[in-house]
Amino acid sequence: MRSKKRSRVWLAALPLYLFTILFVAGPLIYMVVLSFMSKSDSWGIEAVFTLRNYERIGEPVYRECFVQSLKLAFTTTFLTGLIGYPFGYFMAKLSPSKKRLLLLLIMIPFWTSSLIRLYGWMIILQAKGVLYQTIRFLGFEIKPLKLLYSYPAVVVGMVYALLPFMMLAVYSSVDKMDWNLVEAARDLGASAAKAFWTVTFRLTLPGLLSGVILTFVPSMGLFFIADILGGNKIVLVGSLIQDQLTRGADWPFAAALSVVLMTITTLLLILYRRIANTGELEGIV
Amino acid sequence: MRRKFAGAALAAALTAACLGGCTSDTDKKTTTEAQKTTEVSTAAETTAVSETTTEEAVTEEVTTAKEAATEAVTTEETAAETTKEPETAGQEADETTASESGSDGAADIGNGELVIFTWEGMFPDSILDGFEETYGIEIVYSNFDTDETMLQKLSTAKGGDYDLVIADDYIIENVIAEGLAQKLDQKSLTNWENINPVYQGQFYDPDDEYTVPLGAGIPLIVYDPDVVECEITGYNSLWDPSLEDSVALIGNYRVIMGITQLAMGESMNTEDVAVIESAGEKLKELAPNVRVIKDDNTQLALLSGEASAAFLYTSQVYAALGENPNLKVCVPEEGLGYGVMAGFIPSQAPNASAAHLFLDYLLEPENAADFFEYLGYYCTVKAAEEFISEDAKQLLVAPEGAAMEMIQNVSNEANEAYNKAWTEFKAACD
Repeated sequence: MRSKKRSRVWLAALPLYLFTILFVAGPLIYMVVLSFMSKSDSWGIEAVFTLRNYERIGEPVYRECFVQSLKLAFTTTFLTGLIGYPFGYFMAKLSPSKKRLLLLLIMIPFWTSSLIRLYGWMIILQAKGVLYQTIRFLGFEIKPLKLLYSYPAVVVGMVYALLPFMMLAVYSSVDKMDWNLVEAARDLGASAAKAFWTVTFRLTLPGLLSGVILTFVPSMGLFFIADILGGNKIVLVGSLIQDQLTRGADWPFAAALSVVLMTITTLLLILYRRIANTGELEGIV
Repeated sequence: MRRKFAGAALAAALTAACLGGCTSDTDKKTTTEAQKTTEVSTAAETTAVSETTTEEAVTEEVTTAKEAATEAVTTEETAAETTKEPETAGQEADETTASESGSDGAADIGNGELVIFTWEGMFPDSILDGFEETYGIEIVYSNFDTDETMLQKLSTAKGGDYDLVIADDYIIENVIAEGLAQKLDQKSLTNWENINPVYQGQFYDPDDEYTVPLGAGIPLIVYDPDVVECEITGYNSLWDPSLEDSVALIGNYRVIMGITQLAMGESMNTEDVAVIESAGEKLKELAPNVRVIKDDNTQLALLSGEASAAFLYTSQVYAALGENPNLKVCVPEEGLGYGVMAGFIPSQAPNASAAHLFLDYLLEPENAADFFEYLGYYCTVKAAEEFISEDAKQLLVAPEGAAMEMIQNVSNEANEAYNKAWTEFKAACD
């Protein structure tokens, strides 16, 4: 009886296993193997084992790309946390109908492609764009703006793209919190700030931390924002990989870069789990 | 209780939606997975196409196509006349090109299909319609966005699936080396003599056995004379301190490294790593002047006032001047780099005779003039120059007598050095 049931479960899970092996494990193995091969002299790849690709990543210029990516990812995550936490917190305290409205407003931008929304930012930030026109309209005489194609423009774009994840993660954990605990703290004489810090913040920390994961991991890889709003002047690992896959036609090097990027991200995730002492991601499970 | 979970579920949905969304934005350009999926879709298309035509039909097509060819030779004038007409009925092209593997596709046409594989928007409707009407061959237009994607797909198809490919010079060298192109039947190209010999006998096809040049690109400097304070005479002018944070550049590492080397009096194709490194150092000095590096629609940075000088591809120069005739073009004194787009027929092309017909049709002077005026690249058909309108001539007929060099494939070692110098330069622009 029992074994029959088991085999049925196994059968049900089979497609998932197949999918994972075919589309996750397969390409990953392919990528790792590829990263040890050489670029052929004319076109394509030669099955000649080499460590040269990894050696090249050690060169200062390519190391700098990883530093740049990490810097941008940390900046983005920090800022989304700073803006997203209060937003999620106050959103959870609203009446149900207002909550629904806010959720809808957060969702609506996702109905358009993120690329199109980025072009929207371009139009706003352009030398003689919407922002410039608005300032002029308000009666200030200014020179055309030099905001687009700069680091701040990239950070704005990144924070804008990833903020919803942080807001919703924090929201769901604040929403689930038992407010009686805060009341108890206040009754026992804690100030509002102390009650927030010792009770609310601690209880909603898992939400904040899963928000951190949800923004940090994508921001390590989101290079098209830096390309579009940064005018290709900030070289992230993602854009470097893209360059190698297209123009550079150096797939093994691109594979080696990807392997290193994935390793770094995985290590950071493991480190994070150790520190946060949490296995599950609040808000998405 | 339900409400409490709503947030969590939404967040999950959102993650899925955005992650999906984000990749679909980027994958067009890059990821291998994306390439694979597109490969699959084109493979599906082509099988659908081949299913509709039985073997008999194919042989029939070839013979009828040949008949049409001889007919065309004898009645050249009438062919030229009929090409004029379709311009009015231009809209039809969308329908015919879109209908690719429509249910009643090839059967109705009878004379077969010509599968053209090239960038989007290469041909005006007048050319596509004109050819279809003249020969009764349906054109199936298939796109790629980079040369590398083209080679990838063509090698997956083992030189089949496509009848005519138009791509850039350097990649054609690889295509020929891989044995994916077939020799042209020059006898069937009656207009062969119309080709401008300047663009023939190049490194990618020294004996002109495989290719027909269909446009040359010469990137040039375009600037806004109202804003630029210094005199722009060549590449070195871009380094002028008065242009701080005002230069837009195309994103091709070999081209930009190449002009830096020209500015230093070196070849664009040097394989000497020491020279490449010193060019990299010189290029880094340009960093403070760089406003934006991007490869498509670079002219928009100039038109929107974001940049005051730009180094642009030929088609972008054409587009920029079309938009703002006050802009000035500088033909750099240090010499010009150029590239050629050429058409070739894949080794296993299903309908090579139709491809020959189409190439010959394009080499017809009046058709070529139409084609180049639409495309905005330098005209590679000498006989067509007199048919190009006066306004367009300055931009479509290449400056004569200038020192010109093509960018060629270099050794792996040199390529690594070029890549490294380019990445260093981009990082220094920040």
